Amino acid sequence: MEQLVELQLPNILGAEKEAIKKAVTIAEKMGFSSDRIEDLKTALAEACINAFEHGNKFDQNKKVRVTLEADDSSLQVIVHDEGDGIDPEKIPKKRVRDDGFPCRRGYGVFLISNLVNEFYFENHPGKGNNVKMLMHLNG
Amino acid sequence: MSKDIQVSTSQKGDIIVISIKGDVTATTGEVIGNAYKSDEVSNSHKILLQFDKDCYINSGGLASLIDIAAAGRKKEQKIHAYGLSDHFQKIFRMVGLTRCIPIFSSAEDAMVDF
Repeated sequence: MEQLVELQLPNILGAEKEAIKKAVTIAEKMGFSSDRIEDLKTALAEACINAFEHGNKFDQNKKVRVTLEADDSSLQVIVHDEGDGIDPEKIPKKRVRDDGFPCRRGYGVFLISNLVNEFYFENHPGKGNNVKMLMHLNG
Repeated sequence: MSKDIQVSTSQKGDIIVISIKGDVTATTGEVIGNAYKSDEVSNSHKILLQFDKDCYINSGGLASLIDIAAAGRKKEQKIHAYGLSDHFQKIFRMVGLTRCIPIFSSAEDAMVDF
Protein backbone atom coordinates (compact mmCIF):
# COMPACT_ATOMS: atom_id res chain seq x y z
CA MET A 1 0.00 0.00 0.00
CA GLU A 2 1.40 3.39 -0.94
CA GLN A 3 -0.34 6.62 -0.19
CA LEU A 4 0.69 10.26 0.11
CA VAL A 5 -1.59 12.88 1.63
CA GLU A 6 -0.79 16.53 2.27
CA LEU A 7 -2.93 18.79 4.42
CA GLN A 8 -2.61 22.47 5.18
CA LEU A 9 -3.92 23.55 8.56
CA PRO A 10 -4.81 27.04 9.77
CA ASN A 11 -2.63 28.14 12.66
CA ILE A 12 -5.19 27.63 15.41
CA LEU A 13 -5.42 25.16 18.28
CA GLY A 14 -7.93 22.48 17.38
CA ALA A 15 -7.06 22.46 13.68
CA GLU A 16 -4.91 19.39 14.35
CA LYS A 17 -8.09 17.29 14.54
CA GLU A 18 -8.45 17.29 10.76
CA ALA A 19 -4.96 15.82 10.38
CA ILE A 20 -5.58 13.28 13.13
CA LYS A 21 -8.77 12.10 11.43
CA LYS A 22 -6.94 11.56 8.15
CA ALA A 23 -3.98 9.85 9.83
CA VAL A 24 -6.31 7.46 11.67
CA THR A 25 -8.04 6.49 8.42
CA ILE A 26 -4.69 5.67 6.81
CA ALA A 27 -3.32 3.86 9.87
CA GLU A 28 -6.44 1.71 10.14
CA LYS A 29 -6.21 0.81 6.46
CA MET A 30 -2.54 -0.14 6.97
CA GLY A 31 -3.46 -2.48 9.82
CA PHE A 32 -2.03 -0.65 12.84
CA SER A 33 -3.45 -1.86 16.18
CA SER A 34 -5.83 0.40 18.08
CA ASP A 35 -3.18 1.00 20.78
CA ARG A 36 -0.68 2.24 18.21
CA ILE A 37 -3.30 4.40 16.54
CA GLU A 38 -3.91 6.07 19.90
CA ASP A 39 -0.13 6.66 20.16
CA LEU A 40 -0.16 8.15 16.65
CA LYS A 41 -3.07 10.45 17.51
CA THR A 42 -1.30 11.86 20.56
CA ALA A 43 2.08 12.21 18.81
CA LEU A 44 0.54 13.99 15.81
CA ALA A 45 -1.56 16.25 18.05
CA GLU A 46 1.50 17.29 20.08
CA ALA A 47 3.59 17.93 16.95
CA CYS A 48 0.83 20.15 15.51
CA ILE A 49 0.32 22.02 18.79
CA ASN A 50 4.08 22.68 19.00
CA ALA A 51 4.01 23.92 15.39
CA PHE A 52 1.11 26.31 16.10
CA GLU A 53 2.55 27.57 19.37
CA HIS A 54 6.33 27.40 19.24
CA GLY A 55 6.92 27.25 15.47
CA ASN A 56 4.43 29.72 14.06
CA LYS A 57 3.89 31.49 17.41
CA PHE A 58 0.13 31.55 16.79
CA ASP A 59 0.62 33.84 13.77
CA GLN A 60 -2.68 33.53 11.87
CA ASN A 61 -0.89 34.36 8.61
CA LYS A 62 1.23 31.23 8.86
CA LYS A 63 0.18 27.67 8.11
CA VAL A 64 1.09 24.22 9.31
CA ARG A 65 1.48 21.53 6.69
CA VAL A 66 1.06 17.86 7.54
CA THR A 67 2.31 15.15 5.18
CA LEU A 68 1.26 11.55 5.68
CA GLU A 69 3.19 9.00 3.64
CA ALA A 70 2.33 5.33 3.88
CA ASP A 71 4.06 2.31 2.43
CA ASP A 72 3.76 -1.41 3.17
CA SER A 73 5.80 -1.26 6.35
CA SER A 74 5.54 2.21 7.87
CA LEU A 75 3.72 5.48 8.15
CA GLN A 76 5.79 8.66 7.98
CA VAL A 77 4.26 11.85 9.32
CA ILE A 78 5.89 15.23 8.73
CA VAL A 79 4.61 18.35 10.48
CA HIS A 80 5.99 21.50 8.90
CA ASP A 81 5.75 25.00 10.35
CA GLU A 82 6.93 28.35 9.01
CA GLY A 83 8.87 29.35 12.11
CA ASP A 84 12.55 29.88 12.73
CA GLY A 85 13.23 26.31 13.77
CA ILE A 86 14.07 24.80 17.09
CA ASP A 87 17.34 23.96 18.76
CA PRO A 88 16.74 20.48 20.19
CA GLU A 89 19.27 21.24 22.89
CA LYS A 90 17.03 24.02 24.19
CA ILE A 91 14.00 21.81 24.69
CA PRO A 92 13.38 21.48 28.43
CA LYS A 93 14.34 17.99 29.55
CA LYS A 94 13.37 18.34 33.17
CA ARG A 95 9.93 16.89 33.78
CA VAL A 96 10.02 16.40 37.53
CA ARG A 97 10.50 19.24 40.00
CA ASP A 98 12.94 18.93 42.87
CA ASP A 99 10.04 18.04 45.19
CA GLY A 100 9.05 15.10 42.97
CA PHE A 101 6.03 16.85 41.48
CA PRO A 102 5.64 16.80 37.67
CA CYS A 103 6.61 20.02 35.87
CA ARG A 104 3.70 21.93 34.37
CA ARG A 105 4.79 22.10 30.72
CA GLY A 106 7.24 20.58 28.27
CA TYR A 107 5.57 17.24 27.57
CA GLY A 108 4.95 17.59 23.83
CA VAL A 109 8.34 16.42 22.57
CA PHE A 110 8.65 13.95 25.44
CA LEU A 111 5.38 12.28 24.48
CA ILE A 112 6.20 12.23 20.76
CA SER A 113 9.60 10.63 21.39
CA ASN A 114 8.00 7.94 23.53
CA LEU A 115 5.07 7.14 21.27
CA VAL A 116 6.60 6.79 17.79
CA ASN A 117 9.42 4.53 16.53
CA GLU A 118 11.58 7.32 15.10
CA PHE A 119 11.50 11.06 15.51
CA TYR A 120 13.65 13.87 14.08
CA PHE A 121 13.76 17.64 13.84
CA GLU A 122 14.78 19.15 10.51
CA ASN A 123 15.58 22.86 10.46
CA HIS A 124 15.62 24.73 7.17
CA PRO A 125 16.73 28.28 7.99
CA GLY A 126 14.30 30.74 6.44
CA LYS A 127 12.07 27.93 5.22
CA GLY A 128 10.62 26.60 8.42
CA ASN A 129 10.94 23.54 10.55
CA ASN A 130 9.94 19.90 10.13
CA VAL A 131 9.11 17.36 12.78
CA LYS A 132 9.40 13.95 11.15
CA MET A 133 7.85 10.92 12.84
CA LEU A 134 7.97 7.33 11.69
CA MET A 135 5.75 4.51 12.89
CA HIS A 136 6.63 0.99 11.79
CA LEU A 137 3.78 -1.43 11.26
CA ASN A 138 5.69 -4.18 13.06
CA GLY A 139 7.68 -2.01 15.42
CA MET B 1 -19.07 26.54 28.96
CA SER B 2 -16.82 25.49 26.09
CA LYS B 3 -18.62 23.33 23.55
CA ASP B 4 -15.65 20.96 23.55
CA ILE B 5 -16.00 19.92 27.18
CA GLN B 6 -18.72 19.15 29.69
CA VAL B 7 -17.84 19.36 33.38
CA SER B 8 -20.23 18.80 36.28
CA THR B 9 -19.83 18.24 40.00
CA SER B 10 -21.78 16.04 42.38
CA GLN B 11 -21.36 14.78 45.92
CA LYS B 12 -21.21 11.22 47.23
CA GLY B 13 -20.92 11.34 51.00
CA ASP B 14 -17.85 13.41 51.78
CA ILE B 15 -16.43 12.94 48.26
CA ILE B 16 -16.84 15.51 45.52
CA VAL B 17 -17.01 14.00 42.05
CA ILE B 18 -15.95 16.15 39.08
CA SER B 19 -17.27 14.50 35.91
CA ILE B 20 -15.35 15.37 32.74
CA LYS B 21 -16.50 14.62 29.21
CA GLY B 22 -14.86 15.87 26.01
CA ASP B 23 -11.51 17.45 25.21
CA VAL B 24 -9.11 18.32 28.03
CA THR B 25 -6.81 20.92 26.47
CA ALA B 26 -5.13 24.21 27.34
CA THR B 27 -8.31 25.96 26.17
CA THR B 28 -10.86 23.83 28.02
CA GLY B 29 -8.70 23.21 31.08
CA GLU B 30 -10.02 26.48 32.49
CA VAL B 31 -13.51 24.92 32.72
CA ILE B 32 -12.17 22.11 34.91
CA GLY B 33 -10.13 24.66 36.87
CA ASN B 34 -13.26 26.71 37.53
CA ALA B 35 -15.14 23.63 38.74
CA TYR B 36 -12.22 22.85 41.03
CA LYS B 37 -12.24 26.40 42.43
CA SER B 38 -15.95 26.28 43.34
CA ASP B 39 -16.70 26.42 47.07
CA GLU B 40 -18.00 22.86 47.34
CA VAL B 41 -14.84 21.45 45.76
CA SER B 42 -12.45 23.80 47.53
CA ASN B 43 -13.83 22.77 50.92
CA SER B 44 -13.64 19.04 50.29
CA HIS B 45 -10.67 16.87 51.20
CA LYS B 46 -11.63 14.07 48.83
CA ILE B 47 -12.01 14.74 45.12
CA LEU B 48 -12.71 12.19 42.43
CA LEU B 49 -12.07 13.07 38.80
CA GLN B 50 -14.44 10.95 36.75
CA PHE B 51 -13.29 10.93 33.13
CA ASP B 52 -15.48 9.78 30.29
CA LYS B 53 -13.78 6.89 28.46
CA ASP B 54 -13.73 8.93 25.25
CA CYS B 55 -11.97 11.94 26.80
CA TYR B 56 -9.13 13.36 24.73
CA ILE B 57 -6.26 14.89 26.69
CA ASN B 58 -3.29 16.76 25.25
CA SER B 59 -0.23 18.31 26.87
CA GLY B 60 -2.10 21.58 27.52
CA GLY B 61 -4.79 19.58 29.32
CA LEU B 62 -2.15 17.72 31.32
CA ALA B 63 -0.82 21.11 32.46
CA SER B 64 -4.30 22.05 33.71
CA LEU B 65 -4.57 18.78 35.63
CA ILE B 66 -1.10 19.31 37.11
CA ASP B 67 -2.28 22.76 38.30
CA ILE B 68 -5.22 21.11 40.07
CA ALA B 69 -2.96 18.47 41.60
CA ALA B 70 -0.59 21.20 42.83
CA ALA B 71 -3.43 23.24 44.34
CA GLY B 72 -4.86 20.09 45.92
CA ARG B 73 -1.56 19.26 47.52
CA LYS B 74 -1.37 22.73 49.10
CA LYS B 75 -4.84 22.20 50.58
CA GLU B 76 -4.01 18.64 51.66
CA GLN B 77 -6.74 17.27 49.41
CA LYS B 78 -6.67 13.74 48.05
CA ILE B 79 -7.45 13.59 44.34
CA HIS B 80 -8.21 10.30 42.62
CA ALA B 81 -9.15 9.55 39.02
CA TYR B 82 -10.97 6.84 37.13
CA GLY B 83 -12.59 6.25 33.76
CA LEU B 84 -9.56 7.10 31.61
CA SER B 85 -8.94 4.98 28.52
CA ASP B 86 -5.94 2.65 28.59
CA HIS B 87 -4.05 5.09 26.38
CA PHE B 88 -4.51 8.08 28.68
CA GLN B 89 -3.75 5.95 31.74
CA LYS B 90 -0.42 5.25 30.00
CA ILE B 91 0.08 8.97 29.32
CA PHE B 92 -0.65 9.82 32.98
CA ARG B 93 1.97 7.28 34.07
CA MET B 94 4.47 8.52 31.46
CA VAL B 95 4.40 12.11 32.68
CA GLY B 96 4.33 11.15 36.35
CA LEU B 97 0.83 12.46 37.02
CA THR B 98 -0.16 9.21 38.78
CA ARG B 99 2.21 10.17 41.59
CA CYS B 100 -0.21 12.94 42.59
CA ILE B 101 -3.47 11.74 41.02
CA PRO B 102 -3.65 7.94 41.35
CA ILE B 103 -5.80 6.12 38.79
CA PHE B 104 -8.35 3.46 39.73
CA SER B 105 -10.19 0.93 37.62
CA SER B 106 -13.61 1.75 39.05
CA ALA B 107 -15.39 4.52 40.93
CA GLU B 108 -15.90 2.13 43.86
CA ASP B 109 -12.18 1.35 44.13
CA ALA B 110 -11.33 5.03 43.86
CA MET B 111 -13.77 5.97 46.63
CA VAL B 112 -12.85 3.13 48.99
CA ASP B 113 -9.18 4.08 48.80
CA PHE B 114 -9.65 7.67 50.05
